Amino acid sequence: MEILKSIYEVAWFILLIAGGVAVLEGYLYSHFKFYRKPLFEVSALIVFPLLGLLALKTFGLAAPGSYSWLAVSEVLILLFFRFAVKGRHTVPFMLLAPAFVGLALLLVYPFVFEVYLSFHDLKLTTIMMWKNTGTLPFAGISQYVKVFTTSPLSEITFWALLGRTLVWTFSNVFFHVTGGFILALMLNNQIRFKGIYRTLLVIPWAMPQVVAVLAMRGEFHATNGFVNIIITKLLDTLPFLGSLGVAPVQWLSDYPLLTCTLINVWLGIPFMMVVILGGLQSISSSYYDAADIDGASYLQKLRYITLPLIRPVLMPAVTLGTVWTFNNINVIYLVTGQAGGTEQADILVSALYKAAFTYNRYSYSAAFAIVVFAMLFFFSVFYLKTFDAAKDER
Amino acid sequence: MRDNMKKQLSAAAKRKRLQHFFIHAGIILFAGACVYPLLRILTVSLRPGDKLFSTDLSLIPAGATFVSYARLLGDTMFLRWLWNSLIITLATSFIGVSLASTAAYAFSRFRFPGKKAGMILLLSSQMIPAGMLILPLFLMIMKLKLMNTYLGMIIAYSVSSLPFSIWILKGYYDTIPRSLEEAALVDGTSQVGAFWRIILPLSTPALSIAFLFNFTTAWNEYLVARVVLFSSKQYTWTLGLFELQGQYITQWGMFAAGSMLVTIPVLCVFLYSSKWLISGLTLGSVKG
Repeated sequence: MEILKSIYEVAWFILLIAGGVAVLEGYLYSHFKFYRKPLFEVSALIVFPLLGLLALKTFGLAAPGSYSWLAVSEVLILLFFRFAVKGRHTVPFMLLAPAFVGLALLLVYPFVFEVYLSFHDLKLTTIMMWKNTGTLPFAGISQYVKVFTTSPLSEITFWALLGRTLVWTFSNVFFHVTGGFILALMLNNQIRFKGIYRTLLVIPWAMPQVVAVLAMRGEFHATNGFVNIIITKLLDTLPFLGSLGVAPVQWLSDYPLLTCTLINVWLGIPFMMVVILGGLQSISSSYYDAADIDGASYLQKLRYITLPLIRPVLMPAVTLGTVWTFNNINVIYLVTGQAGGTEQADILVSALYKAAFTYNRYSYSAAFAIVVFAMLFFFSVFYLKTFDAAKDER
Repeated sequence: MRDNMKKQLSAAAKRKRLQHFFIHAGIILFAGACVYPLLRILTVSLRPGDKLFSTDLSLIPAGATFVSYARLLGDTMFLRWLWNSLIITLATSFIGVSLASTAAYAFSRFRFPGKKAGMILLLSSQMIPAGMLILPLFLMIMKLKLMNTYLGMIIAYSVSSLPFSIWILKGYYDTIPRSLEEAALVDGTSQVGAFWRIILPLSTPALSIAFLFNFTTAWNEYLVARVVLFSSKQYTWTLGLFELQGQYITQWGMFAAGSMLVTIPVLCVFLYSSKWLISGLTLGSVKG
């Protein structure tokens, strides 16, 4: 019965979306068709905002000023069709409309809403007020000041988090690329079982991340984890290692950041390997043949043929990898996120997530998110600029 | 002379063989590190209840049983969690792919003002940290009174893979020759009819890849589910497994059994589709 009910619920929702898309297309089509008819303009100005208000009311979203907002936007849309679109490009715009309305509602609007939140004060004590009235006390830039002066969690500061995030991102990407490169070089030979090896090597990437991280966390358990079992066994067979300081380690409580890094390196190497392998396979062997005739050594071939030729594949992958690692909440939250979890391993984004949902400091974490986004944005712009410049040089 | 050459050849062959031996050894070492945690989950899931925490390293434990699997399916809501994940994920992917297929067609076949800006918007939306939008989405879902429901999850997930889907579908449409549609237009269908009857059926491979990408993203998602769903009846499997592994130490065996049941189908699908996923990932960048 429950199953039938859930199917019914979701099917109803999909029908609702289909209906919404149909209404949207009809709305746009009428504008494309009749944009010049004065009668249409007058009636559209009355009918469409009313329908919009009705829709808002049914979903319980109507606010006091809704009608005037809807009317103003209808005027803008009419003007836009009258003077800019003029009934052209009907098909592409209608094809694009559903996707872009979806993106506007669920990507652009949340972003704008986050900016709004960061200048107001939403926390556990004001959330009921916001739920009932939809308004919030204005806070100016005080949330942004707090980002740099108070701790997002209980003790660590923003600057310490920033430093740790940079170390985390750099070390992870470094090991991902190096490990991936070595594996790809090894796989790029004429060897037997290549397909099998390739399949086995992408398993960490292919496993569901939640399973992979939780399983690896189990392997770093102090007594039952694989890592410490191996260390103990080594000590049993080679006792002199003990005098060198080798001993089982409390990975999760003493070195949480190191543990997270090891797990994430394990997770991230396969992606880089596959991308680099693709790049290596696209290099024509004639380059290497020519180099062989000239008597180039292996390292020379690597330095002067392989590296420059896989650069166009490697650079975007590294950019992507850097952004992914910088934004990786999953690994850190799954390893340290439970009640009583440590904050020794938190980076900017995971602190942001915890500040919002463990400590319920919503506006604070919104301001924090804007700061993190700004940093990432400037990094990307700067990076792409230098990348383009390098491309022009070639 | 001839002997000399033969000698040289055999020396080269020997060197090659040695080299291959080291390559095989190195790869096997790495491959072991990649596969071993998965095998350990298998081992733990087969252990009898009283030996869950042994430090034994053998792959098939002594007295292997399927008790953990039976308990997982019988005593917990694991099947319900799988069902929740499945229905949320299917609805999400269906909505995402439908929206992407038409939008990608517009980008692939038409010239219109704002085309370049739209493409740039799609690409730059990938730069927004996913973690950043969880908070506003959470508040929006709360405002819509959709907390702890399927619909809230579907809304939160539906557009997250849209830019990427549009990107790979556009790449695929670009490879279909325009003359096919032109022939159809001459025969009297509309542009939309040509899209529906010719382009969509021809793009089944790309559509299924986009679907798979949407599917795996939503299927493996954890952070949004953590804040939107709070009763264990509504949990997706990621939340359920986390709870099994985290809260009750004694349920380690059930956690392992659940992991195996979820991982095996995902692995098969991923290995089957990885080639296309990667070409999609690198498509845009390699071209430029």
